[in-house]
Amino acid sequence: MISFDIESQVFFDFFPQDWFNIDMKLLNFLFKILPTETAYAHCDIPCGIYDPFRAQQAAHTIIRMTELLGKVEREDETKAEHDISRMTHVKEKHSDILEEELNTLRDDYFKEEHFKEHPNLNELFIKTLKSVSKARQNISLGDAEATLNRVLEISEIFFKTKGVESVRVKTVYPTAREIVLHR
Amino acid sequence: MEPVIKEGNEVLVSSVPFFFFKPKVGDIVAFKKFDRVFIKRIRNIKDDEYFLKGDNDKDSLDSKKVGWISGINILGKVLIY
Repeated sequence: MISFDIESQVFFDFFPQDWFNIDMKLLNFLFKILPTETAYAHCDIPCGIYDPFRAQQAAHTIIRMTELLGKVEREDETKAEHDISRMTHVKEKHSDILEEELNTLRDDYFKEEHFKEHPNLNELFIKTLKSVSKARQNISLGDAEATLNRVLEISEIFFKTKGVESVRVKTVYPTAREIVLHR
Repeated sequence: MEPVIKEGNEVLVSSVPFFFFKPKVGDIVAFKKFDRVFIKRIRNIKDDEYFLKGDNDKDSLDSKKVGWISGINILGKVLIY
């Protein structure tokens, strides 16, 4: 509960800020007479729910779209333009998702001790974000694959920090590449 | 904000200190965001923007989600908790 209004302002004009020896009766009285409002010190969303799965899925989608863009048939030019637009849109959308997921993992999940324990982690994030940009800019399977491989490395480090054993398995996606899960 | 402020605690907030002194790193402040009032500790300041984070690093929603808070959204300093 918080209290703030003119009365509280006047009150603290005359008393030091860190005055902890205030009479509890007086304090309780103030809490009763001053307007109160509920304040939140914790999140308003579930905390601690992090998973590199979405990042991996987005990286696979980028690969898939890159593959499909390379297979567009030019017999019907209108259809080809239409297909290219849709595939590029999906590639961009999943690049956005991947960047967001990487930023969440780097900024919110991984803590200082994780970066100390895995000295290559920060550079890995930088390289991954750069390869996402390259995969956006080009129709390059090499850039898309480099992105996925780095995301897989980050995923393995993630599960390591969680104290669980990670395992690389071949996905059932058309990309036919690997994904990192935990046992 | 545990262990400093626990769930259910009543705290007193005043804007008066900030009439005389600018908020500084380490201050616990109440601020408005998403139409709700939050309490966090100031961790970093750039111009009139404040990076806020709870004391419980593991669980706290930090400003990377909340966003940098403009000084105008800070309601006051948490004085007694």
